[in-house]
Amino acid sequence: MEEEREGVGGGGKVRSLICKATNSTEPEVDPRLLKAIKLVVRYSDSELRLAAHTLMDLMKCDHAQVRYLTLLIIDQLFMRSKLFRNLLVENMDNLLTLSVGFRRTQPLPAPPAIASLLRSKAIEFLEKWNESFGIHYRQLRLGFDYLKNTLRFQFPNLQENVARRQQERSERERRSKEILVNKFETLKENFSSMKDEIQTTIKEIGECLGIVRSGDEPMVLESLDEEDFVEFHSIELRQLRLSTLEEGEKVHENTENKVVFDALRELYKLVMTKHLVSVGEWISVLVRVEVTDNKLRDSILKELIDIRNRLQSVKKKCEEAGCSLSNTGNDNKEEDFWEEGKIECTESGGSLAHQKGNKGFAVASTSSKVKNSGPSCSRKDHGDKKMLGESRRNQSDCLKSKLLADAPVVKWGSYLDNWGSKRDVLANQRGLELEGHWGRVDYDAVIPAEKIAELNIQATVYKEDQVEIQPCGAPLNKGGLCQRRDLRVCPFHGPIVPRDNEGKPLDRDSSKNETTSDSGTDIVERLARQAVKNVRERDKEAERRRVMDKRSLKRAKHAKIKEHNEGCLKDAALTSTSRSAAIGEDMEATNAGNPFARKKKQTLASMLRTKVTPKDRLAQRLLNTRASDATLVQLTLGEDANYREAFPNQW
Amino acid sequence: MWREIGDREEGKTRPNLFANRIRWNRVAKLQLSNHKDVVSPHRGAINSLQVDLTEGRYLLSGSSDASVAVYDIQRATEFEGGGVIAKHKCLFVVDKNHENGHKYAVSSAIWYPVDTGLFVTGSFDHHINVWDTNTTQVVTNFEMPGKVYKTAMSSLATAHMLIAAGTEDVQVRLCDIASGAFAHTLSGHRDGVMTVEWSTSSEWVLVTGGCDGAIRFWDIRRAGCFLVLDQSQTQLGRRPPILEHSATNKVSSSKSTTVPSSLAKSRAAQRKVANGNSTKQSAIGKISAKGPARQRLHPGMLSTQDRATAHYGAVTGLKVTEDGMYLLSAGSDSRLRLWDVESGRNTLVNFETVRLQTSKPMQLATSQNSSLVFVPCMTTVKAFNMWSGKTSLTFRGHYESVNCCWFSSQDQELYTGGNDRQILVWSPSRLVSDDEGSAQDQDNWSD
Repeated sequence: MEEEREGVGGGGKVRSLICKATNSTEPEVDPRLLKAIKLVVRYSDSELRLAAHTLMDLMKCDHAQVRYLTLLIIDQLFMRSKLFRNLLVENMDNLLTLSVGFRRTQPLPAPPAIASLLRSKAIEFLEKWNESFGIHYRQLRLGFDYLKNTLRFQFPNLQENVARRQQERSERERRSKEILVNKFETLKENFSSMKDEIQTTIKEIGECLGIVRSGDEPMVLESLDEEDFVEFHSIELRQLRLSTLEEGEKVHENTENKVVFDALRELYKLVMTKHLVSVGEWISVLVRVEVTDNKLRDSILKELIDIRNRLQSVKKKCEEAGCSLSNTGNDNKEEDFWEEGKIECTESGGSLAHQKGNKGFAVASTSSKVKNSGPSCSRKDHGDKKMLGESRRNQSDCLKSKLLADAPVVKWGSYLDNWGSKRDVLANQRGLELEGHWGRVDYDAVIPAEKIAELNIQATVYKEDQVEIQPCGAPLNKGGLCQRRDLRVCPFHGPIVPRDNEGKPLDRDSSKNETTSDSGTDIVERLARQAVKNVRERDKEAERRRVMDKRSLKRAKHAKIKEHNEGCLKDAALTSTSRSAAIGEDMEATNAGNPFARKKKQTLASMLRTKVTPKDRLAQRLLNTRASDATLVQLTLGEDANYREAFPNQW
Repeated sequence: MWREIGDREEGKTRPNLFANRIRWNRVAKLQLSNHKDVVSPHRGAINSLQVDLTEGRYLLSGSSDASVAVYDIQRATEFEGGGVIAKHKCLFVVDKNHENGHKYAVSSAIWYPVDTGLFVTGSFDHHINVWDTNTTQVVTNFEMPGKVYKTAMSSLATAHMLIAAGTEDVQVRLCDIASGAFAHTLSGHRDGVMTVEWSTSSEWVLVTGGCDGAIRFWDIRRAGCFLVLDQSQTQLGRRPPILEHSATNKVSSSKSTTVPSSLAKSRAAQRKVANGNSTKQSAIGKISAKGPARQRLHPGMLSTQDRATAHYGAVTGLKVTEDGMYLLSAGSDSRLRLWDVESGRNTLVNFETVRLQTSKPMQLATSQNSSLVFVPCMTTVKAFNMWSGKTSLTFRGHYESVNCCWFSSQDQELYTGGNDRQILVWSPSRLVSDDEGSAQDQDNWSD
């Protein structure tokens, strides 16, 4: 009894909540309302029944937006309540008809954009429902099957896609794991041989180093001793010495030990390109692989790390021994590059010197060239301990930046090829054999330098720099600001004045009566101009004001009429049904809340109205019968006139 | 439930009554079965459904894509969803690719009533084929003068093996399987014959309904039809049970006792009859008096009588009740009429049909004891109380028009086939709601 009364008492609650939630133009259901609906429905079966009933009723509403929002609520409840599902699947075909609109006799209602959204959402939901509950509800399966296999609707296939992606990923993982295991197997097989190989390489390197050392040692030691004894006092000097000595120690390649060095280089290369890389690879394989016997793996891993450390120490030794062939692997190419770099370096040095003489050059020459010279310098510097090179580069950098800072920017062109050269140019030495064609050729013909300079004079085209024309920014009726860009006067909103974000003029006074304030701000000029144009402008102002007044009067009248009409309609609605009255009141309340939004507020009815585009207006203007008749008359008249002109002697 | 069983144990209720009661309860709870799916291999509308009459096990379906399929509805071929959903795939399909297959839509597919060794299909390609079920080969075929709308065989027949065929042609032909020839040509209809039905009380009586709106009764031992149903000849309600003391008709007595509602209704009907007793009596008297006279004049019947119509428009469906005393007819005027076969009168039961499919022959079904009639009404199937015409159940599930339904009285299951290519099974809800599925269907409130 109690419960029943409660059910009856709260009966309107869910209904009104749902009505309120669906009576909106938003693309989403208000989450607070949704939550309230869920809360109400959760604890009372009768409310749930009522909700299902109301929702099905609303689905029949002749407005896509209402149906859309209803469908969203339905989905929320459908995913949650069993009873709701049971109630709804009974009418599954109906629901699908209303949301997907697959029956030709019952297409989806008006705003087409939202209708298509509704359809896609409905299909998506159906798929989701079928995925989650299809097993329990034959109706769901039937509907899904019908839409998919009979009507061939395209389902988004969300679930399947996710599953497929998952599967692909797992497949990939599995495959990579397999590959890893295979690699591990081969590693196990080849490990000893590989280890031997590396061992021998290391040994050979050791031997080579030994030979080189033994060749160099006495001298080096001697010199060191000497140095030690002679210049002990100054630490700085000593360090300098040491570094030079080290340098000296390194590059001791001569005809005698060339063979050894070659061998060493070869071995070093082997270590760098093959062994270290492969060892790194194996280690990463071992780290990633998952095998049953971890012990073996661990032992191999340990050994590999040892080997790597040893290789690295060997490598270091090699580099110390002056076998710093290359930091990167490729020997042959590297060497070529090296040579080239050297040459370029000198060249760049020359150019640097030249730069000092000729200020514009650095900037005028292509930037790539400048860049080229930088690295090549540094590369060379790497060779000899970096110290010098670093400083030099720094120097060059700062010089360059300084020069760059005050250099004019010049467009690139072929005339830059002989920038600043004051040579005469031979006119007929361009490789073209002109002999005998047009008579004798003077091979010594010269174009003088002045002429060349004249020819090379740069011509630049004046380019207007873009001025940002400010948008008018006056507030529009439909909301937003006027985006017209005019220099002075917007044809709709009058002179352009700075406005704030709302579109209100920043200083109202100035906009209202320009004359006084403007004259106030910029007295001298204003006064001068005013003296000339004062009278005319006054007239104009007055005229405009009169028009404005008239217009505002008219507008006021319209507003009054409109208000009256609305009042009448509202009264009618109030008397017709209780529910609609409630809605009306509701809207009234919201309107009262923000009177500014009243004009702009989008209603369900306004969504149905089609927007009148300029094209429509033009069409209305041009395609009406009177206009077309007039054109016809004009045309015939014109023809007549032509005819008369052509045959003036005829009637 | 348990009390009923207890009553039965104690002998308070008779076995027949008990069984009927249980059947009735089951039928009242028919709903779309979630546990039994018939997987239709057809790519066209299902035009005909029939479960064989001997075992009640094999479902035969004929479809617009010229294919015929047979399903085992007792044993599922596979299970889905953790054994919850039993899928019944077809045992075999005969389609266009078969060497003797039909070229156009199969409009009618029926079992040979004696066993499941043969079945008969009628098609729009003017042919009636008789198939051997086991070899799926054509045994005999008959070429008809037009599209075949409906074929029927008598379930009682012991003396003949005739297939009655309703075609585009005005004549109804009886095809003899034994001889492979037309045994009879029954002429009388003025338009194509949409539906034919054998009487369930006499093996010699055939009922046909035509596109001219006439329903004709034929005695195949005689020439010509002996009765044309006239919708304007009416009687109110059912005839009173003729003699209460000689209640030999077991079926009707058990019905009146088992079904309280129908009992009340029949009482009401009786009262009505009592009110209009004099006219009623006279009507029956007239008919009985007329009986021999009608037989006398039947070759050249009175032309007015011959032109009588049962429906405005075509007669699209016919169904004789189990006891053979009543005939249900559906017409393209969206009406369902219940006829008293004996008197040949319209009983004026108002069935609450909304709209019926008009262009195709439809297949009606009745429940056991003929208390309910299942009628395809566009996309739904409705179950009407036979005697009051009230809708007792509505089956929504099809997405396009339903063409045929078949009630299997053995399992109390309803099979329906429609234009959406689906064969749906409607079964009584399970007594034990065993949610043995992997994922249970439960509320899931996250907030």
